[in-house]
Amino acid sequence: MLTQNKSALVLFALALPLALIAALASGPVSIDLGAALGDGWRSENSDAVILWQLRLPRALLAILVGAALGMGGAAMQGMLRNPLAEPALLGVSSGAALAAILMLYYGFSLPGFWGLAWQSGWLLPALAIVGAFCAVACVWLLAGRGASASRLVLAGVAINAFLSALMALALNYAPSMFAMQEIVFWLLGSLANRGWDQLLLALPFVLIGAVLLFCARNYLRALSLGEASAASLGFRGRRYPLLVLAGIASAVGAAVAVAGTIGFVGLVVPHLVRPLVRQDPGLLLWASALAGALLLLLADIVVINFVGAQELRIGAVTAFIGAPFFFWLIVSARRGQLL
Amino acid sequence: MHFASRILLLVLLALPPVTLAQERIASLNLCLDQVLLNWVAPEKIASVTWLSANEHYRSAPLPEDIHLNRGRAEELLRLEPDLILVGQFGAQRAARRLRDLGLNVVSIPDAYSLEQLLEQLGAMEDALGQLQPLQQQKRRLEKRLALPVPQEKASALILSANNITYGSGLLEHQLLEHAGFANLAAERGVQQLGRVSLEEVIALQPDLLVFYGGEKDFAIAHLAARHPVLKNYIDSGRTYTLPAELGFCPALVVADVLQQLTDKRKTIVNAE
Repeated sequence: MLTQNKSALVLFALALPLALIAALASGPVSIDLGAALGDGWRSENSDAVILWQLRLPRALLAILVGAALGMGGAAMQGMLRNPLAEPALLGVSSGAALAAILMLYYGFSLPGFWGLAWQSGWLLPALAIVGAFCAVACVWLLAGRGASASRLVLAGVAINAFLSALMALALNYAPSMFAMQEIVFWLLGSLANRGWDQLLLALPFVLIGAVLLFCARNYLRALSLGEASAASLGFRGRRYPLLVLAGIASAVGAAVAVAGTIGFVGLVVPHLVRPLVRQDPGLLLWASALAGALLLLLADIVVINFVGAQELRIGAVTAFIGAPFFFWLIVSARRGQLL
Repeated sequence: MHFASRILLLVLLALPPVTLAQERIASLNLCLDQVLLNWVAPEKIASVTWLSANEHYRSAPLPEDIHLNRGRAEELLRLEPDLILVGQFGAQRAARRLRDLGLNVVSIPDAYSLEQLLEQLGAMEDALGQLQPLQQQKRRLEKRLALPVPQEKASALILSANNITYGSGLLEHQLLEHAGFANLAAERGVQQLGRVSLEEVIALQPDLLVFYGGEKDFAIAHLAARHPVLKNYIDSGRTYTLPAELGFCPALVVADVLQQLTDKRKTIVNAE
């Protein structure tokens, strides 16, 4: 069983570069991949420009965002010990979405430096990250000192509902129909037209999130024995839950900020890989990151190759790919009691 | 020529030119709003639609005490305008009701091609009388369209919001063709609207990359136009931005756009 699980993880790890190559080879224009790679990223040749400036950053962003969502989902399920937990539960996504909505409406009227920052396009993701942190901070403050997992979930649901209401209010006052369309697209998630700038913006936050979650890995392991046992093992106080929440806000907030809200990855991926790491919440973080990256990259390959009037939204594709796996998992769990 | 008819001609010539016959004009159509706001004296405009108050559409200042209607008959009835302009689509029920009530409602056809645009300008002229800016615009357009299309073509591709491009059968395509550009989207078989990815833009290498309005504000829909991969185009000045008005009221800007595109082609061809 153990070797089987290990080989499954190795298979994931091997599949990732293969999927990356497939992503680099997919697109509306057929390019000579080998020649484009040989030309180097400074080349002005159109094949090389397409590869290095368009396909590579998009594929890497899919990996980064998928990893952040998978890791965030694993951490959330570990901390709350709830199989239905996902990063959006604590308001990370809705906080980022609300900040983006406010920006999309009122951003153009900002004066001076802020106006310039808005024009340059980095203010939206930056404020979405801030929005994610604010939402998590609100959940934390609402849950109060020494909150249990269930109280955190309740606080998360409450803050989420409030943020959704604020979003609906903002949508009601939409000054133009285009703002409305923008928000709908943003809420569905997309990797289209993203470049190195978005990748570089998200990368440090995702890395910081990963480091914070790495520091909290033993806390998550201890928590699997129950809150009282974790406290008896020395993981008491507010430090560790804060560490996990900050890690999730940083990684998932950055991912949502550049790619919009992509659902399903954070919820399903940890369930898919949990049997492979023998239910270890520490290892699950990295296995989920790997599987999340692979799932999103595969989803993006489908998006790129999908022919339609509109580009298919990646959030829908992740559900299309992930849901059958989930069905299979539930059916097999009914037999083997894995879940 | 008879003596009487000579006298009549002299009398006609001696009269000041007929300006606007109508004193209070209302509009039930966004484009016609803009035509009134741009070309008619503010005191003669009784009402325009509420959409014209939106910064996105407003191309001329809005008079302070103007009534913003929502396309309802009763609003306009109260204002008692001498002339109500209505488009081909939208507010048709209100227009019919107003017409039944004896008001002077004139329908102006929409324009999706250069030919329809000339018809539209003609219809506006018939309704509004001899309005100098309107006649000037019509003459400019006719003059430009009478010029021969340059033989040596440069290539162009439109990259609009959400990666939409404009193919054959659309006004934007006709403008490109008239200015001496070969529209690459139409050559690839795109009819009406189609989609073009950034990869295709790079692979097709058009001489001119044409964006469409609304560029000044950041929007996710315009992410493609902001992608660093297009930096070369922007730095070398091989881009042109169609004004947003072209999308909802081409009559206002079409002559300018045609002139600017022709100039752009000249610069590109000379540089080569």
